[in-house]
Amino acid sequence: MHAFILAGGFATRLWPLTEKRAKPLLPIAGKPILSHLLAKIPAGIPVTVSTNAAFAEGFEEWKKTIDRADVHVVVEDTRSDAHKLGALGSVARWVEEYAIADDVLLLTGDNYLGFRMENFLGRQRLGIPILAAHDIRDRERAKQFGTVIVDPQHPTHIKAFEEKPKEPQTTLVSAGCAVLPKETLGILVTFAREHPDNMGGIFEEFLRQGIEVDCFAFAEPWLDIGSFASYLEAHRLLIGGKSMIDPSAVVNGSTLEGSVSIDRECVIEGSDLTDCIIFPHCVIRDCTLRNCVIDEHCTLEGIDLEGKMLREGTKLVREN
Amino acid sequence: MYIVRSHVLLALWLITDLLIFVAAYALAYFLRVGWILSTDFPFAPYITVVAAVAPLWLLVLATTRTFHLGRNQASLRNGAYIGYAALVGVAIFTLAYYFAYTAFFSRLLLIYALVLTGACIWLWHIAFDALGRRILRRNPPTFPALIIGVTRESKALIATLEERKSAIKPVAILDAIGVKEKEIHSIPVLGKLDRLESTLTELHITHVIQCSDLEQSINLLSACRNRGITYLLLPSVLGIVERDGRIDSLEGYPVAVVAPKQSLIQWFFR
Repeated sequence: MHAFILAGGFATRLWPLTEKRAKPLLPIAGKPILSHLLAKIPAGIPVTVSTNAAFAEGFEEWKKTIDRADVHVVVEDTRSDAHKLGALGSVARWVEEYAIADDVLLLTGDNYLGFRMENFLGRQRLGIPILAAHDIRDRERAKQFGTVIVDPQHPTHIKAFEEKPKEPQTTLVSAGCAVLPKETLGILVTFAREHPDNMGGIFEEFLRQGIEVDCFAFAEPWLDIGSFASYLEAHRLLIGGKSMIDPSAVVNGSTLEGSVSIDRECVIEGSDLTDCIIFPHCVIRDCTLRNCVIDEHCTLEGIDLEGKMLREGTKLVREN
Repeated sequence: MYIVRSHVLLALWLITDLLIFVAAYALAYFLRVGWILSTDFPFAPYITVVAAVAPLWLLVLATTRTFHLGRNQASLRNGAYIGYAALVGVAIFTLAYYFAYTAFFSRLLLIYALVLTGACIWLWHIAFDALGRRILRRNPPTFPALIIGVTRESKALIATLEERKSAIKPVAILDAIGVKEKEIHSIPVLGKLDRLESTLTELHITHVIQCSDLEQSINLLSACRNRGITYLLLPSVLGIVERDGRIDSLEGYPVAVVAPKQSLIQWFFR
């Protein structure tokens, strides 16, 4: 088996945090989202991370920080959202270029998966694709995902798959984790030529061709980190209402409530922080921040902010 | 190079205003005295005082910010400012002439001078404004503007800026969520905010006009501050869509004000 992690998006909804770094490299609880995902993949499964030319450097740097030697980064020659290959197109290109003849564990790099990967892989039947699915219990939200309709008699068998349906029949959604057996890779390559951006469509295609698709429904936490709100939610989930302060950071006379992470070389003085992510090299004095993400090298003095993402180098100093 | 264009234009504007001021007073002299050089009321000392007073008058006029290259010179408010400056000019001239020669002269001449400076300067400003807009908009424009957000308000704003040939020329649009439209009134929609930095650099943006995406205002402002770009915010981003908002001061704090509609008399005291 070979793991393939999709990390080639431009994450425009998380601008400005993703202005200079890819979404899977955003930190949660002290390490990138991608590192959390990588930690789930059992040793012995080689991993390929697919990214784009704009963020390639960041992934190469990330690779130096991990303790696995079997991680390879492939770079799509795209530098903007308008020219990207599409998720399925990226997989197909990799399969063709590297003549992949193994089963493929397909993962999306911006998802947090709460379940044990061994449990998921242990449920895979030989030659049968399997898809991890999570019940989000919200029909309105389900419209944003690929929904998985299972056979009521056999809940592990997928009856239908609908990508971002207008009227979802279920709240069970695809969690960005699947195994595609080597026998199905030819279908994927052919399908991707016409539908390079329709990742969910490949499962519809399997079903259309009469290929069984299994479902691994899990109850553990799952987060699709696609927006500011979901990023903060993932942060709260992993930090768990505590403070995580890098040893090199200086925190004086400040109150930290909820989940707060303060990265290296930060200076926090006389401030109240609630549920915040503070990136490296920030200086925050006499501020009240709630639900904020502050990017690197920001300087904030004498201000109150709520629900803001600040771009790198922002300087907000209140003049008295 | 194109920033120099605006500086040259401004210098030309100031010089021509000085010349028009002096010429208007000269014309007032001849209208009152006749087309002769009177010995009872000599022209040379008169015009010397006018020339000496002209820079002071220009300073008064400048305090009204009429020389802002983006201001609509034909507006009534601008006309009122110019009239006010003309009145102050006449007062300064009268005082200066009296102090220099301890002599009074025709009150009608002062009225002529007031009317002529006010009217000539306003007309010249309107003409110069039209000329200036054409020059400033020539490619590459002197003040290229980036519009943030594809909304009803931004579309209306772009239409107005284009129709009135504004000195601030929209050259590109970015939108936080991405839209299907490829262009608005021939101005290209370049993509989402991830293209902000490259757009600011490549198009040499001098003005960013935020028309939506309030949550990104700090980040847009930060980008503008870092690059010395002027940031403008449409009141509609704050929900003020009825054209009745204004920026005022509350004990020294700048505040956006939306006050209940008032009578014309109350307008002076709001």
